[in-house]
Amino acid sequence: MAPSANVEGELAPAQDIESSEKPLENGAKEQVVPATSEDITAPKGKAKTANGAQQKGKPSEGSKDGKPSGKELKEKAKAEKAARRAQQKGRQPGQQGQPIVDLGPEKQKNADTRRPSVAGPAPTTKIQHKRTGSASGGAQKPIQFRPVQAHAAPISEEPPKENKNVALFDHLYGNPRRNTVAGASKDVHPAVLALGLQMRNYMICGSSARCVATMLAFKRVIEAYITPPQNSLPRHLTTHLSSQIDYIVSCRPLSISMGNAIRWLKVKISEVDVTTEESEAKADLCNAIDSFITEKITVADQVIARRGIEKIRDGDVILTYAKSSIVQQTLVEAFRQGRKFKVIVVDSRPLFEGKNLARALTDLGLEAQYSLTHGISHVIKDATKVFLGAHAMMSNGRLYSRVGTALVAMTAKEADVPVIVCCESIKYTEKVALDSFVHNEVAPPEELITQGETSSPLSKWLDVPNLQLLNLMYDLTPAEYISMVIDESGYLPPSSVPFMQRLSLNT
Amino acid sequence: MAVSSNNSMPTPTPEEPSITSHSNGSPPFDIVKTYNELCRTDPLLTHPIAAIEALISLLAASPVDTISETLSLLSTATTALKSSVSNPIALSAGTDLFQRYIISTLQQRSSQDAKGRSRRNLAGGTEDFRAVLAHLLANSRLFVQRANEARGKIASVARKFVRDGSTVLTCGRSRVVAAVLEATADENVRFQVIYAEDPLPSSPNSTNIVNNLRRKDVPVAVIPFAAMATVLSRADFILAGAESVVENGGVISSMGTYQMGLLAKSKGRPFYVVAESHKFVRVFPLDGGDLPIKGMGIEFSTENEEGKGMHEEGRRKERDLCVEFTPPELITAIVTENGVQTPSAVSEELIKIWY
Repeated sequence: MAPSANVEGELAPAQDIESSEKPLENGAKEQVVPATSEDITAPKGKAKTANGAQQKGKPSEGSKDGKPSGKELKEKAKAEKAARRAQQKGRQPGQQGQPIVDLGPEKQKNADTRRPSVAGPAPTTKIQHKRTGSASGGAQKPIQFRPVQAHAAPISEEPPKENKNVALFDHLYGNPRRNTVAGASKDVHPAVLALGLQMRNYMICGSSARCVATMLAFKRVIEAYITPPQNSLPRHLTTHLSSQIDYIVSCRPLSISMGNAIRWLKVKISEVDVTTEESEAKADLCNAIDSFITEKITVADQVIARRGIEKIRDGDVILTYAKSSIVQQTLVEAFRQGRKFKVIVVDSRPLFEGKNLARALTDLGLEAQYSLTHGISHVIKDATKVFLGAHAMMSNGRLYSRVGTALVAMTAKEADVPVIVCCESIKYTEKVALDSFVHNEVAPPEELITQGETSSPLSKWLDVPNLQLLNLMYDLTPAEYISMVIDESGYLPPSSVPFMQRLSLNT
Repeated sequence: MAVSSNNSMPTPTPEEPSITSHSNGSPPFDIVKTYNELCRTDPLLTHPIAAIEALISLLAASPVDTISETLSLLSTATTALKSSVSNPIALSAGTDLFQRYIISTLQQRSSQDAKGRSRRNLAGGTEDFRAVLAHLLANSRLFVQRANEARGKIASVARKFVRDGSTVLTCGRSRVVAAVLEATADENVRFQVIYAEDPLPSSPNSTNIVNNLRRKDVPVAVIPFAAMATVLSRADFILAGAESVVENGGVISSMGTYQMGLLAKSKGRPFYVVAESHKFVRVFPLDGGDLPIKGMGIEFSTENEEGKGMHEEGRRKERDLCVEFTPPELITAIVTENGVQTPSAVSEELIKIWY
């Protein structure tokens, strides 16, 4: 990160260094000559940036506190963070960039006093925001109108744009997903560049697939990596990876499994002995990544499939929702072993992942029935077991999976059909979630518009007043609806997930 | 294996010299017979413990020299034992536990030995194995003893649930339930018991809870099983025993427990299960049909049986369907010798044993 700042030397990088250095309480000397002091302060600066990147990784997963909470401290931290992010990503200057640039010098002034409680410029901007919102909302349109800090037009004379975000999920919107590789940091490896866009377009989709693809891309990053002079691999490679991760996040937020894998990789990198030859260290890391993928995903999937088959009996009707690679593997394996069963694939808009599953199963010769979610209460009567995939398992035993899963699980519970979740332990997280509102991912609402149909009623939704589209990616299934979780260590009740999560961390 | 037994020939062992021949030589040890004998002679012995005792006697009687020989002997005996009974789950709790225990002990010992002595000393190794085995057998007897003491511990924990003036509803012939209620009666707690009588004719060996409690001046009302729903509102809580406790916290126990659990849930009465922790077994049934128990299916027929009473068919089914599965959501708590646990804690206990 630091080297990139040096190259792009304009007003922005200097500001970046200054603002990032402040919390460190470094002396004024380093601020005066950042370029020369780089070598001396390298370790500190690096540790800091890595830290910052991690902090940043989290909110982008969904908990961006976008609400104008009124707390000045939060506001200030946010502005600081936004400014840093704007420079690191080299985002194209647009409407969103504007307020950040404005905030920069103000913050600097404010930072001299370093007292957030003093009435400085920051609160003023906040008040300004509020005023803009209430004034325009009240005067011109009788609709509910709430400006978001990023989207709010600073001048009230312009015709106010309607906020198309659904208010309840306002905190989840974040920055719009990246469409092109333009403006990506020059550090980002081509493999990662491609991967980000593939994930964005759902060409690589599914928690495990994304995790594997990310780790393979990082392997190539590591292979191509050369430690800059006067840096050590364990220290510098982590920051180098962080810029790759930032890029991926800008395309689509990280999945839980990716987060877990990246955390593992960072620990592995930090464990590399400084005295190791670089080529040797890189080879070791690549091997570690390979065995990680084999152990945590490939073999885990095989074991889970084997255990899942044991629960499929002749005459069963297996209902599944959308498409999970591990559920597909289980069903295909069971069919190959000669089990006689039927499959009902329940699917939903906008991704229609279940179509692929139904096609794959029928191609094999399995009897499959395809239905959309609105038919669930009907098809559940025929089902004897429900198999579900997972995006993540929370520490309170709840399942975080493709939106609609909770509905299927609830219906199954109501109909007394056992619900089985297949989930690799890499998808366990120590996070706890109680509802689907706090943590979630909002996909671009345009995906809801039926493709290929110009006369789709939704195609002009942006011009329709009072219309907001919500395209949530995930939902949360309560643990009571889940009869069993199958992971690579065996059958578990959902309540044992935190226990296994801790266990898999230790090994 | 053959090499090692040849090597062990010259070493003086206290056993018979029939080491070279495998277990088919010498009078064969009949594991099934031993197990049945143990169950018959000691009515207080649970199935898993009887299985463990049978396996210990098998090991003590069999000349084994290597770890793999021991393990293969154990696994064949276990398979024989399991196939001999209609419900192998209760038994497998014991055999699995014992196998696990043997493996972990042997691994520990052998890793210690590997550090201490050179690998080439084969004769010494065999002798050492015998020492390990002797130590193991002595320890496993201790293990059995502790398991038998568990019932007393459970009684001391569970009797706190029985308060002065409370009414307990129970059924079945669980030894742990009997122990709990008798211990409570000994504490001079004034309580009443409603006993739902099992329509199965009880074997003469089974403990008679009703008689024992009445002897201790505890008022007992005996009701037919069908009256359970009517009587339930009079009871404060339900106490049930279990044959096995499975991974999701559900229990496998005598017929009628599931009904009792369902009724207790619908009437809002706490449903406590008392069971020793050696009854925990690594089985995860999704429902009653998912159990590896013979004769759990029902058969439909359009033919009347000639010359037999109406109930003959049902009676026979009753004998076959001796156990059933009660799902964890009906169970308020499971009381083991380690204390009161929620059903979800069972899985964690099992993971701790197996990993």
